[in-house]
Amino acid sequence: MCRAFGDHLVLDSLDLAIERGETFGLLGANGAGKTTFIRLVTGYLLPTAGSVLVDGISPGVNPRAVHERIGFSAERPQLYPDLRVRQGLRFAGGLRGLSGAALEAAIDSALRRFDIGDHADRLVGNLSKGYQQRVSLAQAFLDEPPLLIVDEPTSGLDPLQRAEVREVIAGLRGQRTVVLCTHDLNEARQLCSRVAVLHEGRLVALGAADEVLGGDDPLALFRGHSP
Amino acid sequence: MLALMRKEATVLFASPVAYFVLTMVALITSISFFEHLRLYNHQLFLFASSSMGGFETDTIPDYINLRDTVFLPVMEQLGLLILLPIPLVTMRVFAEERSLGTDELLLTSRLSAGQIVVAKFAVTFAFIALMMTVSFVYPATAVISGGLGLQHLLAVYLGLVMLGIGIASIGLVCSAFTGSQIIAAVSTVGITFLLYDFSWTFEFIGEETAGVLDALSLHPHFGRFSEGLVGAANVTYFLCLAVISGAVVRFSLDLRRVGG
Repeated sequence: MCRAFGDHLVLDSLDLAIERGETFGLLGANGAGKTTFIRLVTGYLLPTAGSVLVDGISPGVNPRAVHERIGFSAERPQLYPDLRVRQGLRFAGGLRGLSGAALEAAIDSALRRFDIGDHADRLVGNLSKGYQQRVSLAQAFLDEPPLLIVDEPTSGLDPLQRAEVREVIAGLRGQRTVVLCTHDLNEARQLCSRVAVLHEGRLVALGAADEVLGGDDPLALFRGHSP
Repeated sequence: MLALMRKEATVLFASPVAYFVLTMVALITSISFFEHLRLYNHQLFLFASSSMGGFETDTIPDYINLRDTVFLPVMEQLGLLILLPIPLVTMRVFAEERSLGTDELLLTSRLSAGQIVVAKFAVTFAFIALMMTVSFVYPATAVISGGLGLQHLLAVYLGLVMLGIGIASIGLVCSAFTGSQIIAAVSTVGITFLLYDFSWTFEFIGEETAGVLDALSLHPHFGRFSEGLVGAANVTYFLCLAVISGAVVRFSLDLRRVGG
């Protein structure tokens, strides 16, 4: 598939398949096209050419069916600063079709999982970036969707929080399909079974994480050099 | 969709803007109402003083009455005054989502773009109705006791709500096309002010063109309600404005998917 903004081609002839149940890493420098790729998968953007299929369904044709299968946590948390954490999660759960006791149970479970129970009644806008990132992840995990897309999930977190988030993602291995966008090569090697490296919208490497990132100079991939 | 409506109402009342707007509208309406009431009493006093035998109702001209001297001028003023607070309410509805990045959360949820538009429009319109209720308490109390008639009162109230819905619809379109709340508010005031009244164009352009422009403007349709007339054409005009605005907002949401 291709995606252009005006004359600028952001994704160029990208051909990629992510298998069910794998933790897939999407790597690349800023501007490589990672966020655009995610937005095409979630259906927020439509491809200029080609197609995206999630579980065999096109987000352009049946967005609702695709959205039912996806949980998404953006690098910049998509949160309402004027809502309290619990209110925000309740709203996110409502958007995902949860209600009543099932919604409250899902909220309690997410608060526990991301250790934000003590902050449940605080305004989101008053939380530190690390806690906002946790709330964003809790939002994405709320209804435990089969496909989870996380964009820079550990950005802005302290080392302890980073380890905790990585532990949560590692715990999903084999249970959920996870697409992890990250700049952190160690994180990708630690968590992902396969990785793809993008450079200026082109795929420069694809394969097992250890294979692709195990070379002498993995950063060369970020500069567009093929392995 | 209920979740989104609940969120919209919570966020609206979590900010001071809603309370500020409600307070300002109530305050300005009250001041305008009591000022007109003072002038009305003053005119009565003048006629009472000028007649030899003191206050006699048959010496007061017909045009000095509660309806024409107080109620209608206040409503006419209110029609213009709500042009300022409504953009303060509508400016954040879509623009804030875009600036926070939460539009992506909404557009990748199980809600369709149409449902998002309907939910946001419904909450905004409900707030407009609340705003009008607050502004209407003093005039309504006094005018009912002055014998204007409940039907006339309801017609004027409906007219104000309809005008509010018309202005809010323009405001929501402006909010959907920008991430800046300031731009959304300023463009709403500008566009509404431009569309408010085209009657002045009769002096400058052909009568036929001016007639079309006048029929498209807000004021003539609101004016009929002020006179106590609820015409289907006027109600349809404001509802069409809301529906067309909803369609334009929906188009703007779809446009983001194609254009980014």
